[in-house]
Amino acid sequence: MRRRVQPRTLFICLTLLCLLAIGLSLTLGPVSLPLFDTLRAGLRLLGVPVSADGLEQTEMILGQIRLPRTLLGLAVGAVLALCGVAMQGLFRNPLADPGLVGVASGAALGAAVAIVGGSWLGGIPQWFSPYLLSVCAFVGGLGVTALVYRLGKHDGQTSVATMLLAGIALTALAGSAVGLFTYLADDATLRTLTFWNLGSLNGASYERLWPLLLVAAAVALWLPRRAQALNALLLGESEARHLGVEVEALKRELVFCTALGVGAAVAAAGLIGFIGLVVPHLVRLLAGPDHRVLLPASLLAGGALLLFADLVARLALAPAELPIGIVTAFIGAPFFLFLLVRRRN
Amino acid sequence: MLEAQGLRLRRGTNDVLHAIDLQVRPGQVLGVLGPNGAGKSSLLGVLCGELTPSDGVVRLLGRPLADWTGQERAQRLAVLPQASTLGFAFAVEEVVGLGRLPHASGQQRDREIVQAALHAADALHLVERSYLALSGGERQRVHLARVLAQLWPGEEGTTLLLDEPTSMLDPLHQHTTLQAVRRFADQGAAVMVILHDLNLAARYCDQLLLLEQGRCHALDTPQRVLTPEALRAVFGIEVLVQRHPERGHPLIITR
Amino acid sequence: MMRRPAALIGLCAGLVLATQALADELPRRWVSAGGAVSEWISALGGEQRLVGVDTTSQHPASLKALPGIGYQRQLSAEGILSLRPDVLVGTEEMGPPPVLAQIRKAGVRIELFSSRAELDAVDDNLKRLGSLLGAEQKAAELAAGYHQQLDAVQAKVKQAQAAQKAPGVLLLVGHAGAKPLIAGQGTSGDWLLRQAGARNLAAHPGYKNLSVETLAALDPDVLVFSDRSLNGEQALQALLKENPALAASRAVRDKRLVSLDPTLLVGGLGPRLPATLNELAGAFYPVAKAP
Repeated sequence: MRRRVQPRTLFICLTLLCLLAIGLSLTLGPVSLPLFDTLRAGLRLLGVPVSADGLEQTEMILGQIRLPRTLLGLAVGAVLALCGVAMQGLFRNPLADPGLVGVASGAALGAAVAIVGGSWLGGIPQWFSPYLLSVCAFVGGLGVTALVYRLGKHDGQTSVATMLLAGIALTALAGSAVGLFTYLADDATLRTLTFWNLGSLNGASYERLWPLLLVAAAVALWLPRRAQALNALLLGESEARHLGVEVEALKRELVFCTALGVGAAVAAAGLIGFIGLVVPHLVRLLAGPDHRVLLPASLLAGGALLLFADLVARLALAPAELPIGIVTAFIGAPFFLFLLVRRRN
Repeated sequence: MLEAQGLRLRRGTNDVLHAIDLQVRPGQVLGVLGPNGAGKSSLLGVLCGELTPSDGVVRLLGRPLADWTGQERAQRLAVLPQASTLGFAFAVEEVVGLGRLPHASGQQRDREIVQAALHAADALHLVERSYLALSGGERQRVHLARVLAQLWPGEEGTTLLLDEPTSMLDPLHQHTTLQAVRRFADQGAAVMVILHDLNLAARYCDQLLLLEQGRCHALDTPQRVLTPEALRAVFGIEVLVQRHPERGHPLIITR
Repeated sequence: MMRRPAALIGLCAGLVLATQALADELPRRWVSAGGAVSEWISALGGEQRLVGVDTTSQHPASLKALPGIGYQRQLSAEGILSLRPDVLVGTEEMGPPPVLAQIRKAGVRIELFSSRAELDAVDDNLKRLGSLLGAEQKAAELAAGYHQQLDAVQAKVKQAQAAQKAPGVLLLVGHAGAKPLIAGQGTSGDWLLRQAGARNLAAHPGYKNLSVETLAALDPDVLVFSDRSLNGEQALQALLKENPALAASRAVRDKRLVSLDPTLLVGGLGPRLPATLNELAGAFYPVAKAP
């Protein structure tokens, strides 16, 4: 059997990688800040009494722009990777992706309604309008997933195969609805919609960050507790039931978890693809399919990968910014093709 | 001990199972025989709780099956299905280790049991390998080890249900598998096994259930069940029944 | 220890004067996120102050050499801050809002200008830009000149309309000729056409695709086309090749085809507009040649 990386080695390496990604994300950017200043500003943010002269801009950029952005990137990357693992377990297929249950297309539909509909209504209360897009995307994602789940239920049992087909159908339906909104939109709204579809960590702020952090924490704490049950599920639904796993409850939890997690991630940062597919795969290639290792490792790897992608997004065209979805697609698509070819052989 | 009373399973307008009464007793191996479509797998499905009977009740250790929680039941009842669709590159050790999921016996004990179960299934030499790299027969033995591990050491109060565990095995391993199952029963476990090879059934089972179109044609010792008349009626084949020269159990020879 | 009162007063006075001077100081480093605004800044002589522009700022051509800050609706806070600007100017289309909030928090001034296609918006914008650049005189001159030129076009059109009927016109905005969008009611393209004395045959609101049959049925007298990727003759050829239905229209038969720079359609009214309007009017009313 191919040699696997020992779990302990894997976790040490991934933690170091994550710390490196965080460090680079905080110290690098279009504004070149001297490293020493960044360190001092960082200490000040942590509450250490260090002198503040000349640090105003550094503190502002570090505390208001880079730090929330780094936290957002970590949370989104981690959640997308974890939900990717959950979906690959639910569908018992390593090529599954959170989008299969329709959450991404539902969120896109919600966003389209908010962006295009918002420009029609115009009468949204001021305090709500920054959150309108996120709330609509979240509700859209949750709504479509709930519908997919409901369609897959029959006689008290949820058929994963039916859910898959329902997911495909509803994704297509949501897609055509988005197409209709695209047609009805004027030029400016159309551009906003397009950019949202490409995903971005731009404009991260603490107010919009905390709901995602809560959800990400919940998902990250809950999923690893079901690791052995997920392992059993991979044997097959009957086999898992014979091993004492409450399979229907587990499937419901996995779908709910994915809807919540991916819905929140998409609401905060737009559509970012391939993380949910690529990260679990990489970890499995290195350390095997045991969920007790796969879940925490994917969390770390997902956060790190997204931060590295964001570095590219921020620096490649500085002072302009590349939408991060493009970067992840550039990494993810060739990797996916490589996997397909490898599987064929 | 697992017992079924008055089982009836309807699908649409068909009676897949009708008026089935049986008992899987501790220390005994009950074999289930019948042509395709006789209802053997459906019977197993009802007995393990996968399918709900339209009539009748299944009792495990005296309690109706539905009254057991998932984990409790899994500690006493294990099922080996006919085929596995596991598509992930687990190590063999990990696959067998999944059998210990219903128990909280600790890592050390689990490891010992996994080794013992693999040995019993004659798959110990496969322990370090990747599941996906195994042949069909090897995989079957790994799953056998898994269900053995689930009930290890197979004392009284545990029940093992197997659906055609020898279908992909070579002659040697057909016997080693059934010998392992036999040894499990000797420890006190109640075992029910669906077989399609009449001679294997005759050799390793204490009791045989002959199913025909969902009904019990015969439920008795192999000597009494495997008669030319019964086999002609149920399977439509002409046979000679002789005594095995060394072991004494019925030997079925198709004419 | 007692400081000497005189020195103290002198220090305070100096500080007050200094702050006053700083407040009066005009922004030196400008970042512009709006095509028309950038053009006005150049027209007012402030081009040297620009340190970064967005993707819609393409005129004058020298602006393209400046660092690009991306599309005006997807600005990057840190990116803009890396240019160390004193002021960020643009239209209300700038965004996203959280990024603007971050830029404000960093102490950069943000000035929003109207992108409405109305003359009073131009007046207002020019006045404010003038005061920000310290070129109030020039701004007033430009505004007056603008009004004059537009009035001249209006007069010419009125005169021509005495002799000629207003032509039915369609404005097509395309990309290498394919799938052109037709400028409908309420768009900046529509405004241009009406100012130049044409009848916009498109009755729908906004920019939309029209079916081949509808295009053929509308049968415009003059066709104005604007292409985002090709220029002049190439654009025309591509347009006719991708849309054969147009070949039968009166406009193509009589060869009454005008090309339009697509950057004129976004970001509000800019300084190049009067000249373009003149050109369009000349194409719509060919007998009334400008003196």
